[in-house]
Amino acid sequence: MVTYYKAHAVADALEVLGRKDVDARALLGGTDLLVGLDDRLDSAPGVVVDLKGLADETPLAVEDSGVRIGLTVTMADLVANPTVAAWYPALVQAAGVVGSVAIRNRATVVGNICNASPASDTAPALLVHGANVRIASADGERVVPISEFFVAPRVTTCGRGELVTAVELPRPVPGTGSAFQRLTRRWGVDLATVSVAAAVHGDGRIQLGLGAVAPTPLLVDLPAGTDLADRAVLDPVLDEALAVATPISDIRAAADYRTAMVRELAARALQAALDSTRRTQA
Amino acid sequence: MSVGTGSLVTVTATINGETRTFTVPGHRTLLDALRSELGLTGTKSSCTEGECGACTVMLDGHAVNSCLVLAAEVDGHEVVTIEGLSVDGGTDLQQAFLEHGAVQCGFCIPGQVMSAEYLLSHNPDPSVEEIRDALSGNLCRCASYNRIVEAVRQTAEKRVSTRG
Amino acid sequence: MGDALRSQEVGTLRPDGNVGTRTKRYGGLERASGAQKYVADLEFPEALQVAIVTIPVGCADILGVDTAEAEAMPGVVGVLTAADLPSPMPRFGVSHKDRPVMADGRVNFYGEPVAAVAALTQEQADAAARVVKVDYRELPGVYTLDAALAPGAHLVQDPSDPTKRAGDALRETNVIEEQTIAWGDLAEQEAKAALVVEDSYSYPMMTQFPIEPLAVIAEPTDVGGLTLYTPVQHPYLMQRIVAGLVGKTLGQVHVIAPDPGGGFGGKQIPKYEPLMAFLALKLGRTVRLTLNLAETTTAIRRAGATVHARTGFTSEGDIVFHHVRIDYQIGAYADVAPRVMTKGSYVGGGPYRLPACLIEARAVLTNTPVSTAMRGYGAPQISWATESQITDGARRLGLDPARVRLRNLVENGEEFVKGEFAGKADGEWKQAVEKAMELAGWDDPLPPNRGRGIAVGIKSSATSGLSQSLVRLLYDGSAIVYAGTSDMGQGARTIWAQTVADELGVPLEKVTVISGDTDLVPFDLQTSASRSTVFMGTAVLRACRDVRRQVREMYAERVGVEPGELDDEPGAVLTAEGAVALDEAARIGLGALRGEVLGQGTCRLEGRKGHPLGGDASFYEFNCSISEVELDAGTGQFVITRHVSVSDVGTELNPIQVTAQEEGGAIMGIGQADMEQLVFDEHGRLLNPSAIDYRVPTYKDVPLELFTSAVENHDGPGPYGSKGMSEGPILCTGAALGAAVTAAAGVKITDLPLTAERIWRATRAAAEGAIA
Ligand code: FES
Ligand code: FES
Repeated sequence: MVTYYKAHAVADALEVLGRKDVDARALLGGTDLLVGLDDRLDSAPGVVVDLKGLADETPLAVEDSGVRIGLTVTMADLVANPTVAAWYPALVQAAGVVGSVAIRNRATVVGNICNASPASDTAPALLVHGANVRIASADGERVVPISEFFVAPRVTTCGRGELVTAVELPRPVPGTGSAFQRLTRRWGVDLATVSVAAAVHGDGRIQLGLGAVAPTPLLVDLPAGTDLADRAVLDPVLDEALAVATPISDIRAAADYRTAMVRELAARALQAALDSTRRTQA
Repeated sequence: MSVGTGSLVTVTATINGETRTFTVPGHRTLLDALRSELGLTGTKSSCTEGECGACTVMLDGHAVNSCLVLAAEVDGHEVVTIEGLSVDGGTDLQQAFLEHGAVQCGFCIPGQVMSAEYLLSHNPDPSVEEIRDALSGNLCRCASYNRIVEAVRQTAEKRVSTRG
Repeated sequence: MGDALRSQEVGTLRPDGNVGTRTKRYGGLERASGAQKYVADLEFPEALQVAIVTIPVGCADILGVDTAEAEAMPGVVGVLTAADLPSPMPRFGVSHKDRPVMADGRVNFYGEPVAAVAALTQEQADAAARVVKVDYRELPGVYTLDAALAPGAHLVQDPSDPTKRAGDALRETNVIEEQTIAWGDLAEQEAKAALVVEDSYSYPMMTQFPIEPLAVIAEPTDVGGLTLYTPVQHPYLMQRIVAGLVGKTLGQVHVIAPDPGGGFGGKQIPKYEPLMAFLALKLGRTVRLTLNLAETTTAIRRAGATVHARTGFTSEGDIVFHHVRIDYQIGAYADVAPRVMTKGSYVGGGPYRLPACLIEARAVLTNTPVSTAMRGYGAPQISWATESQITDGARRLGLDPARVRLRNLVENGEEFVKGEFAGKADGEWKQAVEKAMELAGWDDPLPPNRGRGIAVGIKSSATSGLSQSLVRLLYDGSAIVYAGTSDMGQGARTIWAQTVADELGVPLEKVTVISGDTDLVPFDLQTSASRSTVFMGTAVLRACRDVRRQVREMYAERVGVEPGELDDEPGAVLTAEGAVALDEAARIGLGALRGEVLGQGTCRLEGRKGHPLGGDASFYEFNCSISEVELDAGTGQFVITRHVSVSDVGTELNPIQVTAQEEGGAIMGIGQADMEQLVFDEHGRLLNPSAIDYRVPTYKDVPLELFTSAVENHDGPGPYGSKGMSEGPILCTGAALGAAVTAAAGVKITDLPLTAERIWRATRAAAEGAIA
C-alpha cells in the first residue's frame, strides 16, 4: 500500500517526511525511486511525497556569484542552460550522460545526489565545482559542502525530517577549466564503471572527483601548480593522490581494472580540463 | 496536513487531447494506468525500469519513460501516447519507418516513434549522430537501428523542405 | 511423394511482380501506430493474475511448501503446488521428456517454479507469492561446465529415475548426449603440418532478450478444453505438448499465438504454459502470467560452451587437419539443447576442404536455467573457436587471413563434411567472401590502432519439416492465405502476401494473411532454423498453383473446352484466344452460385535415420563477416568503425526485409561478441537478469559504417530460388570481431565477450611478458 502525497510547500513536505509512523520517500524525477518501488514498499505502509509542486521551491537561478540548482531542476534543464555550460563544463558533461533522453527529462540533480549512488555521474563533477548542499528542516536551514554530504552508499547527511532544497555552485574564478570522463561497458546509455571529473582552478588548485571507486564519491586535491602536461611529473602525483580509491570487484568490473582506469581517466580529464581553460582564455 | 488513509488517487489529466479522469492505487505507474485503466495498449511494457524505452510517452511535451512516472503525478498535466500521435494511414514518420524496413517485430516501435517525434520537435534537422544520441534509450532487439535512423533523417528532410 | 521438397518448381520472379521488391511490411502500420495486439495487449477483464514462487538458489531439495498464509491473503483465489499435479509429476520435452511442470521435490535451476499464486490483481498475487513459505535444503549444485564434468560431480538428473535417464549409458554423468564426427587420419595429416595451432576458447551463456517479455493466458473452455494465448514460434508443438500433459485431444487444446514481439528462438518450446494450463484447469478460471524483461531473461537463454581446438596448416596455408572438442552448457533439462549440440558441432570443421577432422561434442547438464534455441543455434559457439584458429594460423604463417579462407573454402557441390553423412556446399560461397572483402576495402591500409578481421560461418538449416497452407481465392478477387508460420519480426506475412499476389494476380492490398491460431490455420511444424521461406513458402506456392489449376479446370468446363487445351500462368488462365485474368476466369468458372476456390499446398521433407542432423540439410546459410575496429589502448575499449556482412540468400524475396534482418543479425552478433553474458554466482543465482546489467547494443553500439549485402544465384530450394536467411550474420561475428581486436591490439582473446577489461588485461599481460 503506497499513498501518493503531493506536497505544496517545503514545510509541508518536511512534516510528512519527518513522520515516524510511515515510511515516507521523497519523489522528484522518480527515475531511481520508482525502480522496484513495489518490491520495496508494499509490505510497509509507504508514502511517496511528490516534491514537484512546491510553491516555494527555487528553480535554476543564475547569479553573479554562482548558480543555484533547485530541487526540481532536471538534467535536461541543466544541460540546456548556456551559463551553466560555460561555467561548469564537467557538470554539464556528466549530466548529459545520465541515462537516456527520457531519463534526463525527469531525473533531477538534487535527486541524483540524494540517491547517493557511489557511481553517480554528477557527484564527481559537483565535488570539483565546490558545490554546497542546502538542507532544510523544521529547525531552519544548514549548508553542507558536498564533500561532506555523502556518508555511505545510499546514505547522506540529509536525515529524516530534512530535505535538500538546492545545490549551490560558486562561480568559478577566471581561468578555471573542468572536464568529465567516464568508462562504460557500451557506448549508449550506461552506468559508469569508473568516472572522473577534473578541475584546474584559476587560483592554481587542481582537483579530481572520483566516482565508482569507493563507497562514496571522492574529492582529491593535487598539489597546486603540478605540471599536468608532463607525464613524468603527473604520474607519480596521480599515483599518490589516487591511493584513496578503494574500488570493489563487481559485475561491471574488477577492482584492479577500476584502479588502473581511474588513473587513466584522471590523466585524460586533467588534460581536457586544461584544454578547456585554454579555450576560455582564448 | 493529511496524508490520507486510502491509497487510491483520482487523477484528471489531458490524455491525447481529451480530459480523462481515473482512479488508481498510489503506486500505479503511468504505464500501467494507460494500458489497463485507459485501454491505451500502444504504449508497451518491457523492462519496467527505465532501460528499454518501449513505454515512452510525451508528458507536457517531453519524452519520458511512463514506467518511471506515477499515474498520480500526471494529475493536471498533459500526456500524449502513440495513439494520440497517429493518424489514419500513418504519419509521415510512420510511413518512413515502413519504407525503410524499420518495423520488424514492432514491439519497440511505438516507443521509437515517440522518441523520434520528440527529437524532431526540438531539433528539426538532426544529424545521424544526434539521432543515435537521442534514441539510444530505446532498445530494439531486432536491431532496426540503421533503418530507423534513415527513416528519421528522411522525415526531417521532407519536413524541413516543405516548411521551406 | 508429391509434396516433397523439390527445387525444380520454384518459379521465376515476375518483372512486374511484388516478390523481389521492397514491399512494405504486412501489419507494419499497425505496429508503428500501436494498434497491433501482442499477447499483453489482449483484454481479459475476468482473468486472475499469476505470480510464480521461486527460491533464491539454483539447486535444493524442497522440504515443504506452506501456502496457508498466502491463501488467506486478500484477493488470492488459488495456489498451485506440485501436490496439485498428477503423480508422477508430468514432464515434457522434445527429445527428452525430462522437464517437470514445476519443481518436483527438487529445484534444479534458479527460477524453477515451486508454486504459482493466482489472485484478482497482480499486486495481490505478488504479495501472496512473497509469503509462500518454501522450506528447502541447498545442495552443492553444478553451475559451471568444470563443476558438472568433475569426477563425482553432483548429478543434475537423478540416474535412478526411470522416467529420465533409464537405459542411458551416460546416465551416471552430467552428459546428456554426445556426438563424434570424424574423417581422415589426423596423425597422418599432422605430419604434413608446418604449423599446429592449439588453444582453448569459451563462449558465455547469453539470452535472447526479446523486447516483448514472455506472457501466457490460459482459459478453460465450456466444453472441457483449454485455450492458450502465448506468443510462441511453434503453436502446433505447444498444442501437442500441452494436450499430452493435461490429457486432452489436440482439438480440445486451442493455441492462439499472436505475432511475437521478437523471439530469436526463445519462444519455441513451452516454459510456463504447462503450469498455466494446470492452474486454469484446477481453478476453472482464466489465468494470466505477464513477465517483465528481467524475468524473461531468467527463463530463456542460449547455451554457453568451452572449446578446445588443434588445427594444422601447411606453410602455404592449407588446413590439413582440425580437431575440436566442444562442451555445451545446456542447463538443467534438455529442451532442444541436444540438437543445438549436434547441429552446431556438425559444422564444427567450418566450410573448408579438410583432409582430416575430428569433432567431439557433448551437451552437458548444469544447475542453470534451461538453454534453448537461439539465432544461429549451436553454430556461433563452435565457429568462435574454429574461425579464431584459422585467423591465428594465418597470422602465425604471415599469410592473409582472407586468402587463407578462400584457399580452403569448398566449391559449390564439394564436401566439407566427409563420410556417410556428408555435407556439401550448396552455393558459390567464395563469392560472398570476395564481395565482403570488396565492401570492407580489405586491402586498403589502416591507420595505427585500427585492426581488421574476417570470418566465415555456416549453419545447416532444417533437415525435416512439414508445412501446410490453404489459399482461398474469393469471388470478388481478394484472397486469404492461411500459413502457420509465426511472424515474429522476420516478415513472413509480407512474403506470403507477395507470393499470393503474384501467383494469383491479386493486388497486394487484397491479400489477407492468417496465422497463429491452431483452430483456423493448418499444420506447420515450426518457425525455426530459417526454414519458413523454403518450407512454408513452397506450401503457399503450391496452394496458389492448386487454385490456378482448379480455376483453369472450372473455366474449361464452363466454356466447354478440354482442360488440357488451356494453360495457366501467374494471374491468368491461358486460352487459345489469349489470357483471361484469373479472378475473371474464377468468376466464370464458379458461376451463379458464386463460392470460392480453395487451394491446398503441402511441403514435406522426411528426415534420414542415423544422420547426425536427423536428415540432410535442405540448404545451408553461409555468411562472411569483416569487422574493423579502432582501439583505445589505454582503456581496452574499441569502436567498430566498419562492419560488413554478406550472406548467400539464393534470392532476395524482399530486399528491404533482407537488409533489416541482415543488419539485425549482425548487430545482435556484435552485442554477443562484445558485451553480452549471463553471470551466475556460487549458488547458481543469476546476477544480471536486469537490462541494467545485461547489456545489449544500443544505437550507439552500431558500427559507424555497417554494410550488408547478399549473394544471389537463385540456387536455393525455396520459392524463386530462395534460401532461408537471417541467422547468417550472427554465425561468425564473434570471430570476425575477435580477429579485428587481435589485429589492433596485438593480442589474441579466446574468451567472449570482448570486454574492454579483458582486452586491457590481455594487452597488459603481453606487455609485461615482453618486458620479462
Ligand atoms: S518499460 Fe519503461 S523503459 Fe522499459
Ligand atoms: S522491431 Fe523488434 S524490438 Fe524493435
